[in-house]
Parts: sequence; C-alpha cells; structure tokens
Amino acid sequence: MGLFDRFSGWFRSKKKECNILCIGLDNSGKSTIINRLKPEKTQQLDIVPTIGFSVEKFASRNLSFTVFDMSGQGRYRNLWEHYYKEAQALIFVLDSSDKLRMVVAKDELDSMLKHPEIRHKQIPLLVFANKMDLKDAISSVTCTELMGLKEIANKPWHICASNALTGEGLHEGVEWLTGKS
Amino acid sequence: MAFVMMRRDKKDEEDGGNPFKNIEKATVVQEARTFNDQHINTRKCCMILTKLLYLINQGEILATVEATETFFAMTKLFQSKDVTLRRMVYLTIKEMSKLAEDVIIVTSSLTKDMNSKEDLFRASAVRALCMITDGSMLQGIERYLKQAIVDRDRSVASAALVSSLHLSRENFEIVKRWVNEVQQATSSDDHMVQYHALGLLYQIKKNDKLAITKLVSKQARHSLRSPFAHCLMIRIASKIIEDDEDSKGSSLYDYLESCLRHKSEMVVYEAARAIVNLKSVQSKDLSPAVSGIVIEQVAITHPLSVTTCNLDLENLVTDSNRNIATLAITTLLKTGSEASIERLMKQITSFMSEISDEFKTVVVDAIKALCLKFPRKHLTMMNFLSAMLRDEGGYQYKKAIVNTIISIIEENKDAAESGLGHLCEFIEDCEHTSIAVRVLHLLGKEGPKTLSPSKYIRYIYNRVILENSPVRAASICALAKLGAQVPSLKESIVTLLSRCMTDSDDEVRDRATFCVKILQENSLNVSVFGLERALMHYVKTDMVEPFNLKSVPVANTRTESKADVPNVTTIQKSATATASKQDLLAEQLARIPQFASLGPLFKSSDKPIEVTESETEYVVRCVKHIFQKHIVFQFDCTNTLEDQLLENAYVEIEPSDEFEVESTVPVATLAFNVPGTTYTCVSVPEDMDLMTGSFVNTLKFVVKDCDVNTGEADEEGYEDEYVLEDVEVYPADYMQRVLKSNFAASWEELDSEHQSEETYVLSSISTIEDAVKEVTDLLGMQPCERSDKVARDKNSHTLLLAGVYVSGDDVLARARFAMAQGQITMLLTARSQNETPLALVHKAVG
Repeated sequence: MGLFDRFSGWFRSKKKECNILCIGLDNSGKSTIINRLKPEKTQQLDIVPTIGFSVEKFASRNLSFTVFDMSGQGRYRNLWEHYYKEAQALIFVLDSSDKLRMVVAKDELDSMLKHPEIRHKQIPLLVFANKMDLKDAISSVTCTELMGLKEIANKPWHICASNALTGEGLHEGVEWLTGKS
Repeated sequence: MAFVMMRRDKKDEEDGGNPFKNIEKATVVQEARTFNDQHINTRKCCMILTKLLYLINQGEILATVEATETFFAMTKLFQSKDVTLRRMVYLTIKEMSKLAEDVIIVTSSLTKDMNSKEDLFRASAVRALCMITDGSMLQGIERYLKQAIVDRDRSVASAALVSSLHLSRENFEIVKRWVNEVQQATSSDDHMVQYHALGLLYQIKKNDKLAITKLVSKQARHSLRSPFAHCLMIRIASKIIEDDEDSKGSSLYDYLESCLRHKSEMVVYEAARAIVNLKSVQSKDLSPAVSGIVIEQVAITHPLSVTTCNLDLENLVTDSNRNIATLAITTLLKTGSEASIERLMKQITSFMSEISDEFKTVVVDAIKALCLKFPRKHLTMMNFLSAMLRDEGGYQYKKAIVNTIISIIEENKDAAESGLGHLCEFIEDCEHTSIAVRVLHLLGKEGPKTLSPSKYIRYIYNRVILENSPVRAASICALAKLGAQVPSLKESIVTLLSRCMTDSDDEVRDRATFCVKILQENSLNVSVFGLERALMHYVKTDMVEPFNLKSVPVANTRTESKADVPNVTTIQKSATATASKQDLLAEQLARIPQFASLGPLFKSSDKPIEVTESETEYVVRCVKHIFQKHIVFQFDCTNTLEDQLLENAYVEIEPSDEFEVESTVPVATLAFNVPGTTYTCVSVPEDMDLMTGSFVNTLKFVVKDCDVNTGEADEEGYEDEYVLEDVEVYPADYMQRVLKSNFAASWEELDSEHQSEETYVLSSISTIEDAVKEVTDLLGMQPCERSDKVARDKNSHTLLLAGVYVSGDDVLARARFAMAQGQITMLLTARSQNETPLALVHKAVG
C-alpha cells in the first residue's frame, strides 16, 4: 500500500478514473443511457430490466468512468446503499413522462442524500430528465421544482433533459460531470 | 528487500507447506474491504478470495451480516476485467450463495457475462447464476438459460444442462418447459453435452413411464455417440426392464445385448453388468454376456449370479493371459466349495510369480474371504499366505497380506498361534515401518493370550535393537503390554525396558520410562470404561477441583470368571466381551434419568441376592448399587403365574434407622415369564454407625387376571402385595477390592497415625483357612501378595488386604491370626487417611 501505490498511480494511464453510481426508479432508462454512453461497437441492442446491478465502463475526454448501474425495481432499491461509499459521482435518472411517480423518485433521492455515506460528501449529482421526446413529458425546470433540487446545498448538481434512445442531451450531462470531477 | 524476502522464505518453509494454516476469519473479512478500493489490485484480491474460500471450505461459519458485507464488497470486483479474478469471483459467489443475503444483486452482472464474448466467463457465469437464483427469479433468466442449453460452446451447454438438472429439484415445473432445447442438445456432437442432455431429459420425463420408454427406444435406434450417454441409457433401460415385469422388454433387451458389441469398453462393461443384474435373467441370456471379455470383473461384483457359469471359468483358468486366469481363479475361489479349494490354490501357486502386485492383492482378498467362510482350512491358507509374505512385493501387497492374516487371527482363535508366528518372522525382515508397527501392536494385544507369550519377547526386543524409532516405540508398547498382562514376565520385561530408557529418540525414551513406571507401580488398575465415564462426568461439572482418579471405579479383579447371571440376560447378551459386568450395570443405570445425578457408580454387588424362594409365584432378585451418598436397589422380578398380569410393580422398602427412600422406578407391566426391573433409591446417612443395616421389602403391584390362552387381561385389577426377604447392607458393600502389588510400600505410605488396631477372638471358626476366608469376605477387600493362601500345619498367618472405600480413599488392613488351644485370635490393623472406613473395618468384623 502507501508509497508504492502512489507511484503506480502516477505512472498509470493519464486518464483519471471516476466511479459513478447510477440510480433512479425502474423503467426510467438508466441502462439505456449507460448503454448509449458506451463506445458504439460494444453497445447492446436490447436492454432488459436490470436485476441487481451491472458494471459498465466508458470514457469521455480525459476521464474514464466506471458506472455501477443499479436496478431500479422497488425491491432492489435498498441494495443501493452498499455502493454509496465508493461513489465519486451520482447520476439520478428520472422518467420525465411519469408525473405520478415523481414523488416516489423524490423520496428515493432524498433518502439517498440523507444517507450517512452520501450526506457529507461533496460529490457532483447529475440528474437526467429522461424521455423528453414523449409528448406528455414535463420540462427540466418543472422537474427541478418537483424534485426540490434547489434545496441541495452541499453538492454541485445539474439537470439536463435527455432522450436516451437518440442520445440527445446525454453528452451535455457527461461534459458537465467531466468538468466537476 | 532481498534479505527480507529470504527471511520470509525461510519462515514459510518452517511453517511446513500450508500457507493458509494461520489465517483467521476476522482478518480475512477485514482484508475483504480492499475490494472497495477504487484501484483494484488483482493479485491481492485473488489471494483474499482464495483465503475466503479456504475458510468457508474449512467449515468456518460466517455470520449473515459478515457474509453479506463481504459479498457486496466482492461484487465491486466485477469492474475488473481480469479473467482469473473474475473466475475467483464466480467461485466465491457459488460458495457464498447460501451464506449472504440479497445475492441476487449479481444477477444482471452474471447474465451479462453469460452472453459476453469472453468464452472463459460464460460457462462459469451460468453455473454461478443458477446457484443464486430462486424460483421467483428463475423466470426472469429462463430465456438466457434456454439459449445456453443449445449454445454452440460445449462448456456453456454442459454447464447450463447440469445447472438445470440441479434447478429441476426445486423448480421442476419451470425446467420442464425447456424440454425442446434439451431434446435438441441430445443430438449434440459433443459427448459430454449429449450425456448431460440425456440425463436432464430423463429427469424431466422420469415421472412419465410411457415417455421414458419412448425416449429409450428412440435413442436406442439413433445410435448415440457418447459412451457416457450410452451407459446412462443402459441404466435407464435396465431400470425399465426391472420395473416392468410383464412387457418382457425384448426390444430393450436387444438393445442391451447390442451394447455388448459396442466399441467402447465402458459401454460393454455397463451392458454386461446390467444384463447380469437383471432379476429375471435366464442362463441362456447370460451366455452372450459371459462370453464378453469383461466377465471376470462382472463375476467379482456379482459372485452369486455367476455360479452357473463356473464351467466357463474353469476353462479360463488355463487362459494364456495370466491376469484373466487369476481373476477366473479368484472368482472360483469366491464361489467354489470347500473341496475344490486346495486344487485351486495349487494352481494359483504355480503362476503367482508371474502376475503383478495388483492381481496378487486380488488373490489375497479372495483368500481372506475364503478363510472367513471356511475356518477349518486356515492351515492351508496360512501356509500359503506366509509363503506369499516371503516373496517379493510392494507395500500395498504386503499390507493386504498382513491385514488378511490379522483378520484371520481375530476371527479364528485356532489360527492365532501360527499366524502370530508367521508375522513374527515377517517383521524380522520388513522394510515397511507402518506394517511392522501394526504387527507389533497386534503382538502386544494377542501375545498374552497365547500359550507361551515369552517366545514373542525375543522377536519384539530384536526390533528395539535393530529398527528405526517408530518401530522401536511400538515395540516398547508391545513389550509393556506383555509385561502388564503376564505377571511372570514382568520382571524381565522391566529390565529390558530400562535399557531402552537411554534410547536416542525422545518418543522411545518417553514411552520406555512411562511403561517402566507403570509396570513397577501398577497404579492404574481402573476399569477403562469406568474411567471414561468418570471423565465424562467430570467434564460436565465446572471442573474447579482437579480430577480425582480415586473416584473411578476400580477394575474388578474378580469378575474374570463370568458367573452366569440370569437376570441381566438381555444386556449381557448384547455386550461385548471386553466390558465388565459392572460397566454394563452402570450403563443400564445411567439410562434412568432419576439416577443421573447420583454421580459415578462405585460398585455393584457381585451376585444378585435372592429375596424370594426360587419356586414361588414371583421370583425377585436384588442387586445393590453403591453410589457416593446413595444406594440403588435393583429388583429383577419375574412373574411365574400364567394367569396374571402385574402392573405398576415396585418394591417398598422400609429402611432401618436413618436411611431415606428417595425415589422408586416402578416397572409398568410384568407379563408372564417376562422379567422386569424396578429400582429403589435410598440415601445413605453420614454417620458410620448407621450406614449398615437391613431393609424390609415388600413388592407392591396391581394384579389383573388374564386369559391363559390369549393372554388378554381383565380391565379391572386389584392391588396386592408380596412380602420379600430382607436385604442387608454390609460394611463390605462400601468397599471395592483392589490389588496392591507392593503391599509393604503402600502400607508404609499410610503412616501409623491413621491406624486403628484391635484384637478379636474368633470363637465360631476352627481353622485359620476358614478365618482368612471369612474375614476377606466380611471386609470385601482384596488379599494381596497371595496372603490368602494359608500354609498347612502352621499356627499363625498374616493376611494382607487392600481396598478402596466409597469416598475414594485407600484402605489397607493387616490381620494376624494365631491359633492357640483350638481357638483363633486375630489382631486386625487397618490404615486409611479417612476415619470412617477404619471404623467400618472393625465394625464389619466385630
């Protein structure tokens, strides 16, 4: 440990690494977003509901991201907390067409932000208001209000509307994340 | 750095091999937190996982919380792409799938790996995935499993098939839906996949007899490629034939028969075995199977079914292939009659030198079986075996021979002398330490029982001089055993052993010293079973006081001659010859919960006391069991009246003086001529004067008249009682006989301060011999140094007695008899640390 690791850290590839935890309600499009962010040839064609979690890697300009894409289904949400500790950035995905469950999403977000492993960390939070293409989708501004994002004091946060199917808005978010990490 | 490494290497060597010997669970669980680090150190993580797996497999128990925490830490290793690490992760998932909670967290990661391009991951991922799924999850991954079953990669397909087989135990209905994929897999080119697919297909269809029959007949026609699948098919087919008597299954039989000509030997063997095993097999059906080259093996596994083909075998004996000939002969030996043995033995001897060790071992095994079957032939066998012992041969071979001889000796007492003789000669020149040790142990055990144990001393002592240290140590133990059990040899053995006390090897020296000490003191004459029981009892206490050897019942020196005691028949029959009668009674008592708290049994009276006349309605015998502070009276009752059924029978004791009845254990029913046992427990008063006395006993019970012919009893019964004779408790009951080999030394040890002396005139006894006998019986102590033998025509005699009092104190007594004017006077001197037994001794005589 210690000295030797630090040496090897210096000599490792120049790209900085960053661990991201990607959470959100089920069917909000987490896996699809992550799949979109991967290099073209490794992308999968069909996305099925994640059970548990799945690890993916992708890179932006000078950062290589390791994403823990968690399952959003109700009964697996309590397993998120096992991965809080190592997270260096958070991605929270909203289904902006699902107004009904916006409260549930807020509830989950709040309980994460209150978690002892997260509360005092100054890590960036990126919110994707996904599925912006659907006609009954609400705007990112409304999302910000509904989610009470403005009340987050100790973390830099950013919201962007996105469409994971076309990839619209995703790179804006990742750019922001790269700047913050 | 290099210096440090060198030192570590050295340390590793000293630790001796297992690098995981000293790891601890807590440390490993702590180390597992490294998995959470951002940069994964592959080698280190692999090592930690290995340690974790080692611990789990060593039976270390991980608490659920610990396990879950470690498991989740481990899931983070999925971010590494390292192949080795990933496979370790799979293994750990499988091992921890039942220990940790929420293991389904890895489901998606595994399904991803299952479909990844890395073939190395896929099979293992399938197996791991099936371990973590339960019924509710299975539907979610069903699609992937179905895909995997028909996967082009053989390892993936096999993994999926085998995992499905495991899953089908719990989730049969779901697995059943995959039948089409499985069917497809049975036509795979790969042997293993085909075999596994067939296995699963059978599992899925096994409840449907028709489907199975169809399956077999279909697959039998489409010749399977895989020999494994063929074997499985043969088993299935033979099971169908077995289950289904009437259909005759002739097509199936044809299939089995056709398998005999298969090019794989495995299939041929399996088919032959199946045919021979068929219950309904006719001898004409058997002949094709018999003609197969595998007949010998078949014969060995199923000797009885081939008795009919002994004639064929006789021809095979002369086969030019010696191995086949050997197997044929051994088979004949196993199945043959007593008369043919000698002829066959001669034949074997003729080519014994030409066959390999493995086959020689087969021959030895056959001979062993023969000896047990025909004990009278042991002389022939023994000579043959000893000749084989002298031949060249490897360790396994010699071991087999020695084992055979030993088991013959154990089974057949007549063979013991000659067998031991052969073994003695063998160890004179034996290069295998473990065999020599074994033989020496046997000599120690069996030697003393032979007519002249002294002749073995030379053989054993030669080992002490000539051999390596393990053999020397074993020889010393053997010598010591001879010395302990054969008194006449003791002195010379002690001399021999004292020479060994200067041996160069620590173990040998220790054993020699120990044995010499034991032999000289003869101090450990407790019964082994008693010691075990006392130790068990001791371990259950809080162990504040050191263990007292004196509380152990002393080995009974007198019960050698097993008086036939009809009352304990049931127990005694089942008992092994080694357990003494007292141990049996103690066992019996220990099973009764009321008496569990009484502590170890000190002594039981030797012979049951008849408390009824022998020809009366009810025959009752009484045995006294003496405990530290209690006496348990055991009444063995037999009802001799055919027309009566006794219920709830117990003996009411009216104790004299201070005794108090504590509990009774009645016997529920006493049918005609079926003995039953009831117990009564009384507490013994502290005061020595009140410890003895007589007890008035009454047998109380409920009588029900019953029909002599049917044995059916009336509903209504009436209470009745039967007066028994009194039972006395003597001072001798509190005393256990013990042999002191050096009475004078023991006597001096207990100084004269703890002594009491008194003179008695024995008016009613006329000879010293009678007096000696009387006093010995009254005191219940063991005569030492042959002082119970009175020389003729002598007017005086000294009797030396030794015993152990119920408290565990040694008691010694010296009685000097003198004869004067036709009257005997006795000066009785007793010594003991404890006052009570001193007084008791005098009370007994007085």
